[in-house]
Amino acid sequence: MVQGNKVKILSAKQISIQNPLSEEWMESPLEYSGSYVPAIDPEFRQFISAGDARRMGKLLKRALATSLSALKDGGIENPDAIITGTGFGSVENTELFLDAMVREGEQMLKPTQFMQSTHNTASSLIGIHTHSHGYNSTYTQKGMSFDCALYDAWLQFSLGKIKTALVGSHDEMTPVFAGFMRKADHVKAGEICSEAAVSVLMGTGQETPAYCTMDGMVILNRPDEDELARAVLSLTDGNAPSAIMTGVSGNAENDSWYSFLGRLLPEIPLLRYKHLFGVNFSSSALGFYTVACCLKKRLIPACLTKDGNTINPSGGILLVNIVEDRHYSLSLLKPILCGGL
Amino acid sequence: MAQGRSVLITGCGIICAIGNSKDEVLSSLMSNRTGIGPLKYLRTTHTEFPVGEVKMSDNDMEQAMGIEIGTPVTRTALMGMIAMHEALGEAGLGREDLKKCSFVNGTTVGGMDKSEQFYTDFIDNDTRNEYIKTHDCGSCSEMIADRFGRFRYITTISTACSSAANAVELGADMIRSGEADIVVAGGSECITKFHLNGFNSLMILDRGQCRPFDAERAGLNLGEGAAYLVLESAESAARRGVKPVALLSGYGNACDAFHQTASSPDGEGAYLAMSKALADAGLKPEDIDYINAHGTGTPNNDVSESQAMKRLFGNAMPPVSSTKSLTGHTTSASGSVEAVICILALRHGFVPVNYAWANPMDDGIVPNMELNPQRKLHHILCNSFGFGGNDSSVILTATD
Repeated sequence: MVQGNKVKILSAKQISIQNPLSEEWMESPLEYSGSYVPAIDPEFRQFISAGDARRMGKLLKRALATSLSALKDGGIENPDAIITGTGFGSVENTELFLDAMVREGEQMLKPTQFMQSTHNTASSLIGIHTHSHGYNSTYTQKGMSFDCALYDAWLQFSLGKIKTALVGSHDEMTPVFAGFMRKADHVKAGEICSEAAVSVLMGTGQETPAYCTMDGMVILNRPDEDELARAVLSLTDGNAPSAIMTGVSGNAENDSWYSFLGRLLPEIPLLRYKHLFGVNFSSSALGFYTVACCLKKRLIPACLTKDGNTINPSGGILLVNIVEDRHYSLSLLKPILCGGL
Repeated sequence: MAQGRSVLITGCGIICAIGNSKDEVLSSLMSNRTGIGPLKYLRTTHTEFPVGEVKMSDNDMEQAMGIEIGTPVTRTALMGMIAMHEALGEAGLGREDLKKCSFVNGTTVGGMDKSEQFYTDFIDNDTRNEYIKTHDCGSCSEMIADRFGRFRYITTISTACSSAANAVELGADMIRSGEADIVVAGGSECITKFHLNGFNSLMILDRGQCRPFDAERAGLNLGEGAAYLVLESAESAARRGVKPVALLSGYGNACDAFHQTASSPDGEGAYLAMSKALADAGLKPEDIDYINAHGTGTPNNDVSESQAMKRLFGNAMPPVSSTKSLTGHTTSASGSVEAVICILALRHGFVPVNYAWANPMDDGIVPNMELNPQRKLHHILCNSFGFGGNDSSVILTATD
């Protein structure tokens, strides 16, 4: 692919347990302890009328806010594709509907709660709000949901079907579902259960100064180490990246899954983000977002590195996400070349 | 015309209210036998609604798949395994071959059948935590895949009633781009109390047999089922020495961008999805020999879809039918369930009948009621539209 047609990240926005729609976390991250921390919401008024906001659960409000903010930032009104990930969807409404049905019987149930429980409401809402009639899809694969959405976008770009894509991943929590996340071991000991809404605008055009380029991605189910080595080699073309962003969280079992990186790419510094953003089914989208921010700023801040030193990411950052030691996602993001594009 | 490699279908499998295999489904289609009737397996107070249940209990399916009693598994996963078993068998894919295959599954309810049963246990104690693990849609795809071996990539699409169609489209894109040689794609969905009540709260369930495209239609009947297509590149099929059963010659995905649960009056999303599929296949409207409509039987869908078909096909309207009055609306699985029905129609030379239709709608299409085709079937368009205006159409083409 020639440089000019490369897939670029045009904008990336988040609502999480760090300050919303902001990159303040790079300088002065908020620190947390405890088992469940909800996200910090922005003022939604700037994106959504009060009447509309009342009809939406928090996942939908956040999805719309990060999406509209990313579109505005990237100078695009109607993306060619809207592709969204979510692990659990709008659990607030799912819980209300389920609870009423189980405890009060199968009468008087609310259609709005049912409708918002459907996973594709975020992608649809963004389509409705921006009048985008293009490709629209939704992925749900636990903590791999964002990666699956991103992979679809990557495919659509590769086939030349689209020139812009809004890719996001959104998961909200309730105290009850945060409990389920622990009971099902989706959030492990030492990890903070959190919420996330992330929207990433991607494009192959020249419209706007981009954060970085995306140079490839692969997702594998239960790969052996040889397959992982081949995947890394084909992504990096043998050029060592400046750093590797991992999903290391401080939980010993989770962190052991990333140990192959030390064997495969020794000496490359490993980065982490889950200590700042917590763990939920959309947290890998925050990993992608942090990498894009580092490449835009051309600096990996101390809060992401192990030794507290900053790193210049001139050689790009390899992003690795592993779920349940079975789903492995690898993607490579690189800085925009000086004077190029 | 589409870029990239052509997409062959080298096997398929199905289970739904009118049969537990392709042969059984074919026999029901040929004899116009509906699978819709009174509730038998789902435990709900809403016994007034007829449904298209798969005629097996969870235990029957566990036994058929050789699953030990007590293994945590959901009905959606069980139906998926039965359809996958048939699809892999026809394509001649064994355990070792799966390392090169990807699995793209469509589902929306996931493990809700067990969650609604054990919800209070989930909250109050730790006795059913294994079913919290099977609640999410992704785990359903993993359960189905793991039964057969190690797939290279597993993903789950959840776009409500177009999930399986979008799964087929993603799988085809993976083949076209060279990212994959073989992809098993489709969807699975069991009836749950959760969405029976949800559809009831939206007031779109018919208390009698549903009647798509009929002036008197009063809503849909929920169905359930699973179906998968084995999508394969021509190079891979030649290497393995397998013959295609049909071709996937085009497809389109568009967003109605109108309303979360209603279709636009002019069917813009449906029109765009069908137009994109035709352009993608390099076909003209008059090349289509049959349309398997989404045709749910709700007042809203059938008007909107009729308008979209009229806009696109005008005077070249081919025979159209909805098979949902036979199978019930299999929701997330409907895209692949109906794609398999289209493949059966291509291979056995018949046009499925719009069961239970009697009265023409004002300004609607008049559905096909004649099993014998007027001409040989080459290309079939199959529609799947979901909540949120997630509209998708695929075109299945005969191999000769």
